[in-house]
Formats: sequence, structure tokens, C-alpha cells
Amino acid sequence: MSSSARTRSAAGTAWPAVMGANDVTIGFGAATVMSDITVEFPAGTVTALVGPSGSGKTTFLRSLNRMNDKVRNFWLRGQISLDGVDINGPAVDPLVLRRRVGMVFQRPNPFPMSIQDNIVAGVKAHKMAKRSELRDIAETQLAEVGLWSAVADRLDDSPFRLSGGQQQLLCLARALAVKPEVLLLDEPTSSLDPRSTEAVEELVRRLTPDLTVIIVTHNLEQARRLSDSTIFFYEGRLVETGPTVDLFERPQRPETARYLGGAVNPGADR
Amino acid sequence: MNGGEPTDPAAAPSARSDPGASAGLGASDVATERRSQTARVLERVLAGGSAVTAFIPLAALVAMLVVLVVQALPAIRYNGWHFLVGSAWNPGSTYSQPVRSGGIVHLPGASYGALPLVLGTLETSAIALLIGFPVAVGAAVFIVEKLPPVLAGFVGLCLETLAGIPSVVFGLWGVLTFGPWLARHVYPALAHLPNVPVLDVFHGNTGYGEGLLTGGIVLSAMIIPLVAATTRDLLRQVPEATKEGAEALGMTSAEVFRTVQFRWVRTGVIGAAILGLGRALGETVAVALVTGSVLQSATNIYGTTTTIAATIVSQLDTAQGDPTGLYVRVLAEAALVLMAITLLVNVVARRIVHRASRGVALPVGVGF
Repeated sequence: MSSSARTRSAAGTAWPAVMGANDVTIGFGAATVMSDITVEFPAGTVTALVGPSGSGKTTFLRSLNRMNDKVRNFWLRGQISLDGVDINGPAVDPLVLRRRVGMVFQRPNPFPMSIQDNIVAGVKAHKMAKRSELRDIAETQLAEVGLWSAVADRLDDSPFRLSGGQQQLLCLARALAVKPEVLLLDEPTSSLDPRSTEAVEELVRRLTPDLTVIIVTHNLEQARRLSDSTIFFYEGRLVETGPTVDLFERPQRPETARYLGGAVNPGADR
Repeated sequence: MNGGEPTDPAAAPSARSDPGASAGLGASDVATERRSQTARVLERVLAGGSAVTAFIPLAALVAMLVVLVVQALPAIRYNGWHFLVGSAWNPGSTYSQPVRSGGIVHLPGASYGALPLVLGTLETSAIALLIGFPVAVGAAVFIVEKLPPVLAGFVGLCLETLAGIPSVVFGLWGVLTFGPWLARHVYPALAHLPNVPVLDVFHGNTGYGEGLLTGGIVLSAMIIPLVAATTRDLLRQVPEATKEGAEALGMTSAEVFRTVQFRWVRTGVIGAAILGLGRALGETVAVALVTGSVLQSATNIYGTTTTIAATIVSQLDTAQGDPTGLYVRVLAEAALVLMAITLLVNVVARRIVHRASRGVALPVGVGF
């Protein structure tokens, strides 16, 4: 949407960034969870990560902003890059990385503070604005996610009185307020009703091409509606990737076809 | 089978014995089918019983207040406002004939000014909270955020054990070992702190280790386990997902703590501090031992003094020797003042908490 494009470039910081994984293998202790993942997420596109539960989608997603760093015995081989720079390199500050690569989670997780304070929490931490500008930032971000009219008169209220869908939009606004270049969405609508799901999807569509979006979803229809390209993970491997239309219409691999066809266990030959 | 009066319980058994009803599972009639009589009686007993138990605390509080007021009434009439503003505490001459003034029989020269007791109570408790609260919260944060789980469990066990130690043990340790040690090694150093506002309260005669500061420190040792254990439990309830939300914004662990954990537990921790303050205000034996139990205000922060609770326990024996019975009633009045102070502290603290949280409700039950 052009209006959001103007706001974002006016701030002068955010460009959509390219992310990529080169021969990435991930594990915890002795267990290898994902192997040999090589993939590119082009700037300004939406990529959907699909696959059965336990296929490693979320683990992979959390490696893209180093949320796995604190997990015990986590290890990663290969290279994940943001605009060509290895995000696990010694020069990269994970805190700056996470500002540039934002994340929204499965369930809404507002902070126990007012709605306005929620939106500007990251802005304050990264000292991206003066105190006097915070209210305007909150308004801009809430408007961007389409929540402004609903909460305009209760910015100082608790976010926990909002509906689940509104809370998730609030979390999206909070993530967007720090001007990320990439946004990671981990099943962002799995706990929401259809109406709220639609609102989140519409927002994601509006955010591109100003933002690179990577979304994990169990909802194949959502992947189809929302994404430019889709990656199918199965048992820790990247089985197939390509433009969403091609992957859904003409899957190349039998596992993909079986999964898209609704098979619970796409590996089983029958 | 649906011909019977549905509200009549007697109709239920006959309906069940109807051959049509016993034909299959789907044949039971929702209008007549009832759970057994015993289940319903039990239900009613439980409901009634829990209603009764809910009123027990209220009844106990009211009964206690009434008894205290009735007991204290003669003393209140005799002492007047002097009780709260006066500093002289003199039960009168036991060897003289009781005299009567204003309708109250008392010993000649009896005069009760409880100001030193009230001050001693507030001062020791304030010192205890000033020392204990930061230490307790710091310990809880360290246990939850930094210690490896095995060690955290062990330290937690120590905390809980500490919370269960009878206060007389603290008191004995305070008066025999800790107090004298403080007076020898710590207080002299404190007395040489720079002579600037706030720090200059530490100047003066450091005494022998029985007094206001020792009392406060020993009390803080009793508050710490309570506040630390509560804070630790509250911190553990903070959802991982909310913390991750803050981490994903690129916050440092200190910022995550300020944004999430601190706000999540704030009300509950203040609630724990109020409980701790309540314990400090009412603490008796330990304070009686380590403050010196002298019926006067402390001359400086090291000076001997006493508290309301300590006075009640240390003076009750003497009071029962008063042939006029007035002294016992004076102690009841002191108890009433202590209750009022505790209540006031509670109300004020809750006000503060309510204002601080500005109505930002938390999804977990915290504090009150």
C-alpha cells in the first residue's frame, strides 16, 4: 500500500532486506533437527514455510533472528545471511539483528503495560525516538495495523482487555515500530478467529514490498493466499521450494503432493 | 414416563423403573432423571460448610476488636490523648493505696505515654524493610534468572527453611552473637561515614549492639525469606512467550526484565512486602530481645528502645501485679494502637499499589 510505503521511507531507515540460508544444519546436542538447508528469501516478498508438525519449520525460523542462541545445546553449521552478512559472525550484535529481523509469535504476547507503552517498548530500548515523539509513533503504528480507531481512546489501558485478534495486531504493531527489514511470523493466526486472521493477512499483504516476510503456517490455504514462494519442509529437510503457484499446482516431489493433498504422513508411500 | 410431575423428586425413581426408560441409554428423560440423593445432600453440605468457613476470619477479626476495645476502654478514658503523644511511662507506686480519678481506679502517679513504643515500632520496621526488601528482591531475581536450576533449588530450600525458623531463635542469635559482633566491627565503621545528610544518622555513640539498628537488621532477616520466596515464585510465573516477545525486539536482558518481569510481579512483590512489614510491626520476642526493651525512645540509631509488641510481652507479668487492673488495660490499648497501625499501613500500601499499576490488569492473579 502506497501510504505505508511513504511512512516507512520517510523514516529513512527501512529497506526490505534479503535473507538467505546456505547449507544450514541445525541441531540440539547429539540430535540433528534440520540438515542442508539452502534457500533464499528475496527482498520484499512473502515466503511461507509449510510442513507437518515436527518438520523443523519453527526451529529454522527462530534461527533467522538467533532466538535459539539461548536454548541449551543448540548448534548451527552453515551460514544464514542478512544482506550478505553472516548473522552468526563475530561482528554481528544479536540485539541489533533482532531489531532488523522482527518476530511475531503464535500467541499474542503483549507486555504488562499500557497499549501505548507496548507499541513503543522497542523504540525506547533502541533509543529510536525522543520521549515527546512516542505518542505519535504509537498512533502511526496502530493506524498501520488498523487498530487505531479501536483503541484511540484507551492508549493508557491494559492490552489484556483487547480481543485475541486485537492483541495480535498490537504485537505486530510493536514489532513494526522498530522498523524491521525482515519480519518473521510463527503461525501468527493459529490462535485467532477467521475475522482476525483475515485482518492479519491483509496487513501482511500491505507490508510488502516494503518488508521481507517469512511466515510459518499450518494453514495451506493461508500459504497459498499470502505468499509469493513456498518452502516445504519434511523431517528436517527442505523437500521442495518454488513460487507458491507452481508448488501448489505442480508439485515436483511425491511428498509435497501427498502433503498438499492432505496426507498426515506424506513420507508414507501408498 | 413423562407423565409424572417433573419437579417432584419422588417421580424420578418410578420413571427410572419404567421398562421404556431402561430399554437403552438414549431412553433417560432429562426432565425426570436425577443424580442420587446423597450427591445432592453432599453438594448442599459443602456449599453451606464453605459459606460458614468463609465467615470465620471475619468473625474472628470482629470478636478480637470488640474484646480489645472493651478491655482497653478504661485505659483510653484514663490516658486520653496523652497515650499517643506522651513519652513518660510510669505504672505508679504499687505500695500506695489506689486512688480514683475521673471514675477510674489507678495507682498514684500512674501515667502512660506510648509515643516511644509507637516510634520504636515504626522505626525498627522501617529499617527492616529498607534493608530486607532490596536484598530479598535481589536474591529472588538472582535465583530465577542467573542460578542453574539445581543450585536454585538448593538456595530456595534454604530460604524456605529460614522462613520457618522461630523468631525467638533469631532473637537469641541477635542478642548473644550478632548484635555484639555488629557493635564491635560494623557500627564503629558506620559512625565514621561522611557527615552529610542521610549518612549522618549513623553518627553518635554506637552502644553495645542492643537497639534500634540491631532490631531492624534482625527483623530484616525475618522479612527476607518471605519476600524473596514470594518474589521468586511470581517471577517463575512470568510466561516465557512474553519474555521472548521482548527479546525478539532486541532488548538486553536488563531491558527484558524491566519491560516484562518487573511489571508482571510488581503488585505481587509489593503485596509480599506489606506482609513482611506486617510481620515486622507485630514481631515480638526477637525484637524484645535485641532492642534492649527499654521504655524510651532511642537517642540515636544505635540506641536502645522498644516496640509495642515487645512491651506487651515484656510488661504483661508486671501489669498483672497492678491491683487496680489498669496496667493490663493499658496494654490492651497498646495492642489496639498496634492493630490500627498495621491496618493503616495495609490500606496506604494498597492505595500505592493500585495507583502504581494504573489499572493495567495482569492476566495472572497477583497480590490481592
